[in-house]
Amino acid sequence: MRTTLLIALPKGRLFDPALGLLSRAGISTDGGQGSRKLTFQDSEGIYEFVALKPADIPVYVESGAVDAGIVGSDILREQDFSVYEPLDLHIGLCRMVLAAQDGVDLQQVQHMRIATKYPRTATRFFAARSRHAHIVRLEGSVEIAPLLGLADAIVDLVETGRTLRENGLTAVEDVSRVSAKLIVNRTAMKTRAGAVRSLITLLDKVVYANS
Amino acid sequence: MEWYAEQISSQKPFLDPQEGLSAFRGTMDTTFAALPPGFRDLAFDDAASRRTMDTLLAGMFAARGFREVLPSGIEFLDVYTRGNQSISERAFKFLDREDRLLALRADFTPAVARMVATRFGSEAGVLRIWYSGNVFRRVEGRNGGYAESWQVGAELIGQESIEHDCETIVLALESLSALGMESAGVHINHAGVFRGILNALDLPDGARDRLKSEIDHKDARALANHMEELGVPATIGEQVHVLARCIGGVEVLHEAAGVLRHEESQNAIAHLQSVADRLGSWRDRVTFDLTEIDELEYYTGIMFTLFSPARRSPLGMGGRYDSLLRAFGSDRPAVGFSLFMDSILEGR
Repeated sequence: MRTTLLIALPKGRLFDPALGLLSRAGISTDGGQGSRKLTFQDSEGIYEFVALKPADIPVYVESGAVDAGIVGSDILREQDFSVYEPLDLHIGLCRMVLAAQDGVDLQQVQHMRIATKYPRTATRFFAARSRHAHIVRLEGSVEIAPLLGLADAIVDLVETGRTLRENGLTAVEDVSRVSAKLIVNRTAMKTRAGAVRSLITLLDKVVYANS
Repeated sequence: MEWYAEQISSQKPFLDPQEGLSAFRGTMDTTFAALPPGFRDLAFDDAASRRTMDTLLAGMFAARGFREVLPSGIEFLDVYTRGNQSISERAFKFLDREDRLLALRADFTPAVARMVATRFGSEAGVLRIWYSGNVFRRVEGRNGGYAESWQVGAELIGQESIEHDCETIVLALESLSALGMESAGVHINHAGVFRGILNALDLPDGARDRLKSEIDHKDARALANHMEELGVPATIGEQVHVLARCIGGVEVLHEAAGVLRHEESQNAIAHLQSVADRLGSWRDRVTFDLTEIDELEYYTGIMFTLFSPARRSPLGMGGRYDSLLRAFGSDRPAVGFSLFMDSILEGR
């Protein structure tokens, strides 16, 4: 049995903001730099971290292979994971939008084709507006799909809007507001209650310091 | 290296995939090497462990006056849709010759309830039964889950009494101890605690479902914002917040009793207090956990989950479901539990 609480951190755009948040909460770690080990600990040896691909984090947390994780709400809403989501961390803030080529009126498109990495989120979005869209699932670089004629529009994350502009796309409608969340394994929440609760309290204090 | 050179020079390339693989496999046909996703075989030690555990539990249940049942492996799908909607969605379904929907056993409790209600519905007194067998649930889109899992459980049917609630909880803990899981504990709650609050709010179905799912996420701040949006009175909001931290010993029952105003919630807390009073030496294995809600609205009284710090997933769960047998034509109260034997076996 582990004595530390094992927490998954997302590789990529959320990694540095996540480490920054942990450090403001008094949990300091070097982020495993220079180490070839799979996991790294905080300076007090209470927490252990592992960097994983964001989309894999809920899978690890749901199964209990890791106790908790930090992951974007875009990934959590795309699949049903049975995990607790006790805290919105307000990092990695961005929007998920429906974006079409400049000058295209989607209302006039008869059989709308949407390219996205988030097929379930996109399907739900159109269903809620009583529209049907044919969803094309892509792994990345979704913004080029309209240019090549694969789709009429895309559903994707937007941080600054630069990628959209560079590819001649305009955000038509917001799908959701995206932010990173703390997620916790359902069994760890019960069997490691003290450690989990103190982590939530530490992070909550930092995230909501001004409110 | 020299040997490799020799192979090449002798015109017998040992890297030839065709020859290399077929030489390794001999003439074995690999068509059936992979099972359908989510399934597995048990062989030798694994099968022997299962047999040993099963025999041990059979002896224990028999000694306590429980009789074994084994409901049919296939049911009309309706048995599950009436018994537990979320399970019926995951059932393996097929049609019979008259195009009626059938399902492989997806859960024991509705199957046992159907069996008791239709076969022994008029039998007087208390029925103590136990079962052991496999349930089948589709796992498509669920990472790493098994579609076939072994459950052993017991049910006390025919009387709504606190003694039966306690007997069930103690039997579940005794079963786990017999299986070597002395460190296992039980988290006990009562469906009426939250239901009292939800009913008092009288929300439309959509808002009620969203509120329940937010309570389930355990995000206190998101819940507070949403309750404000819905115009939930501050006094009720406060009750929900107090409940969100009510996990611990009997003291959390006192704390909850101090703030909960609705009769159903009050009665549920009083009931849990009486359970605590009757558990005697088992008390140190009990956590009162009012933070969970019965999202499916399946339970009518106590509900509990069994955990061990040595396992990654719950070891079992149970509770009182007084309205389930009514769905099959016999209005008899019942309380029981199921052990998730694969979780218990995991890590052995």
